[in-house]
Amino acid sequence: MLKYTAKRLLYSVLILFFVMFLIYVLMYNMPMGYVETKARELASRPGATKSYAEWLADLNAQYGMDKGVIQGYFIWLGHAVRGEWGDSWAWTIPVTQEFHNTVWYSFILGLVSFIFEILIAIPLGIAAAKKQYSFTDYFTTVVAMVCISMPTFFLATLLKYVFSVKLGWFDLSGMQGRNYLNLSDFGKFLDVAKHFVLPSITIIIISIGGLMRYTRTNMLEVLNSDYIRTARAKGVPEKKVINYHAFRNTLIPLVTILGGSLPGLFSGALITETLFSIRGIGYASYASMTQADIPFIMFYLAFISILTLLGNLISDLLYAVVDPRVRFS
Amino acid sequence: MANSNSYLYEALMAKTAQKETLKDEEIHLDDISRVKVLSPGRQVFKRFIRNRLAVFGSMLLIIMFLFSFFGPLFYRYGQKQIFYKFDKQNVNYGMAKENTAYNGYSIDSSIEIERPVVNAINSNIKQMIAKGQDHAVLFGESGVYALQKTGEEIYVLSQLGTAPVCTLGSGTVKVGVYDSIRKSISFSGAEIPGLVEAASSIKGKGGVVELEGISYTFTKGVGKSFDITAEMSGIQYSGEVPENGFEEALEQAVQEESAAFFFSETEFITKANGSMTEVFRVNSEAPARVFSRLTADTRQLGQQVSEEFRVGALLATADGSTFSADSRTFTVAYKDDVLTVLDEDGNEYAEFTVFSVRRYTGEDSMAYDLKKAIVEHIAGMEAAGLKTDSLVYALPQQAANGEYVYDDDGNLLYNDSEMTISRRDTGEYVINAEQVIYVIDMFSPPTSKHILGTDGDGFDVLSRVMYGGRISLMVGFVVVFLECFLGIVMGGLAGYYGGWVDMLIMRLVDIFYCLPSLPIMIILGATMDALRMDTYIRLLIMMAALGIMGWAGVARLVRGQILSLREQEFMVATEATGIKVKDRIFHHLVPNVMPQLIVTATMGMGSVIITESTLSFLGLGVKHPLATWGTIINSVSSASAMAHYAHIWIPVGLLICLTVIAFNFVGDGLRDAYDPKAKR
Repeated sequence: MLKYTAKRLLYSVLILFFVMFLIYVLMYNMPMGYVETKARELASRPGATKSYAEWLADLNAQYGMDKGVIQGYFIWLGHAVRGEWGDSWAWTIPVTQEFHNTVWYSFILGLVSFIFEILIAIPLGIAAAKKQYSFTDYFTTVVAMVCISMPTFFLATLLKYVFSVKLGWFDLSGMQGRNYLNLSDFGKFLDVAKHFVLPSITIIIISIGGLMRYTRTNMLEVLNSDYIRTARAKGVPEKKVINYHAFRNTLIPLVTILGGSLPGLFSGALITETLFSIRGIGYASYASMTQADIPFIMFYLAFISILTLLGNLISDLLYAVVDPRVRFS
Repeated sequence: MANSNSYLYEALMAKTAQKETLKDEEIHLDDISRVKVLSPGRQVFKRFIRNRLAVFGSMLLIIMFLFSFFGPLFYRYGQKQIFYKFDKQNVNYGMAKENTAYNGYSIDSSIEIERPVVNAINSNIKQMIAKGQDHAVLFGESGVYALQKTGEEIYVLSQLGTAPVCTLGSGTVKVGVYDSIRKSISFSGAEIPGLVEAASSIKGKGGVVELEGISYTFTKGVGKSFDITAEMSGIQYSGEVPENGFEEALEQAVQEESAAFFFSETEFITKANGSMTEVFRVNSEAPARVFSRLTADTRQLGQQVSEEFRVGALLATADGSTFSADSRTFTVAYKDDVLTVLDEDGNEYAEFTVFSVRRYTGEDSMAYDLKKAIVEHIAGMEAAGLKTDSLVYALPQQAANGEYVYDDDGNLLYNDSEMTISRRDTGEYVINAEQVIYVIDMFSPPTSKHILGTDGDGFDVLSRVMYGGRISLMVGFVVVFLECFLGIVMGGLAGYYGGWVDMLIMRLVDIFYCLPSLPIMIILGATMDALRMDTYIRLLIMMAALGIMGWAGVARLVRGQILSLREQEFMVATEATGIKVKDRIFHHLVPNVMPQLIVTATMGMGSVIITESTLSFLGLGVKHPLATWGTIINSVSSASAMAHYAHIWIPVGLLICLTVIAFNFVGDGLRDAYDPKAKR
């Protein structure tokens, strides 16, 4: 087990190395006007202490752009491994600081949505599987399909239109109300929470469909297995068959996939956060991407890649932990 | 009885015969018609059409394709066709204001006036008005000019030819420069006799020379030259001394602080210079420009007057009352204090007023009586202290297409229109009236002409939706095709060869699986924005990038399938019969992967359409003149547009949803149909 984990970790690091290399090559080959524009802008800012040529040389040196792509990558990697991610151009603070400022909003948004997603999707999936081909089953299937097929931006706009414009229950975007500063601490908390409602609903609806279908498929598989038939043949009450025998076995793939998506809670919802102006990491990274903030983009992409790899690793390990039949070789 | 018996017998026989024939027709086990054998494809099809959701999805897709690919052929509007309309809008019709600036007209354009003098004319005239003067002298860099009021609001600027006469007052005056090598003095003013001889004593740093009671100070200047200054007081003549009595006249002029005075029919002008006053004699006077706040309004609509006419009329107020301009002769007269120009027949031709009424664009195309009515109304408003008031007067009638309406004789037709006159804080009056103008038909609500209305560019939304569907569906197809192509090749190679090829390709798959595709697409879009790339090239790059980033999943699927198929008997058979490796992979292995692949591709189509529309919605995918479903929603995504133009984005958004749902239903249905055992 330990050996397997170590092997997988090393393997993930190797993949990360190449993924970041690909991203670096992409960034490196972006039109050089990019860095030049930035240097020009920085040099012409009021109070700029360096000239355009100095900024250009500085920026090129900072990102190893003045070296070849391979050498430059290793220089960047050397800095990154030591935790020196540089200063964000768009946010004018160290990249790591901007990360700390934003990631917790994303996490809270992700966590709340995640909890609701589980609470809604799993019972519905099980209910659909219990009565295959019933109205509930068809209804759940169609709802799941609609949720999967809904583009985030359309759903977000639709929710805004209905709940903000027509009903006026929520603000269109942003994280704080107009009189936020006059509120008590608890009032402030409620105000921010209220602003998180629509984004959460968006994320829940978008992600609910997949989990619902997954639960249904797995539950059906379990219900068709021999031990369930045995349990029924023994005369175990149907309630107990479902809740005790079937559900616990359905949990194996569910826990695996849910555990694997835990790191994703930190990755932020790029589109949703941008559309609702929630200052999470998705919003920050989108703004950085459109403003060519290379240090922050590199950091964010590395972060996302690490989270993806971590998610795969966790779900593989959980699979063995939860299901005693599985042993690593 | 016999009859009855025979009848029964016959019936029995008939029944037996019937039984016999039936027995012959009975189906045998090996009868081909006993089991209706379906080909595998037919079987899949049969299972597929039994799935109601899948059939619904297929219908939706067929409709969507017909709508997008054939719809534009039968629809009357193009995707980039801009629609216009004539709209009655309350526009800024005219502007009425009191002219504050004095405009110059050339009397003699051959005389050049220095720029600073022309620029300062307005302030000089205002200064004259404030002081109640009729005459002022302006000094330029080199020339001297006189500004003479010749009539109400009429000022003539003349260039003066001058000669210095004398200086007055006490102070230090620069006399000249003494060159100690050449022993000569270049005098600034008139020559002072005897000073050159007296200067011979000057050496080194300079000194003081007394001559005729005046002390001249020599100060070392550049090289061997000395600047000569003198303390002067009283009148110092330079050159010819005028007749007796000049000094009294000059003294009076200085006391009155007047810039010019006459003495023995000669004009003299004074120029204050510190504590000294320089006096010049005017030798010549050439009128160059006439400045006036008055603007000409002709009685006849549309008649324009030339500069010659204006100059003639403005000057005629002072010297005689007739002038000729544009080979016609006119007479000027003041009628009710208004400078009026009469033509040869004594009819009123034009008049000059300080208060001008013009169309808002500045052109003079308003009828004379309308102008008069507006001016009178404004006078009434001023008296009553109103800032806004309305006036009903006849304006040229406009047809529905914005053109003016003429009667049979070619005269303009008028109809009474309501105008609103409002005073701005800057003092001018703006006249608003309803006018029919030609505008782009923006954000038109759904009508019978435009079923989904028009968008912010005046494009027909329904037509955009059709063309947008083409691109969105095409992007889906191309990207999925690319993904599948790459995936099959890579996955096929990895699965068939195994070993290090498999190892290498699968590590590549892992890397591509880990690449965050949406952020990379956003960065790519922003970069292409920065490069101002052509929208068609963007489309191609976007499709290529999406394909390259999506093949890993397909490769994984194909490899997995091939790994299990490879061990089956038919593959051993292909090896035994010596079929080429390429054919073995792509003719025998890949077709067996097809069912899974088709399902994945169908589902993938939906997700590609979502990705593309998301990018276009963010403005980083396909760009403006080209329509996709994403860009159509993007064009009305701002908070206010979103609230007001729901008739544009809701149908388009639903269309995206329906298409993706249809692809997913069909994909689901296909999976169940291909593999009924897996159906849960």
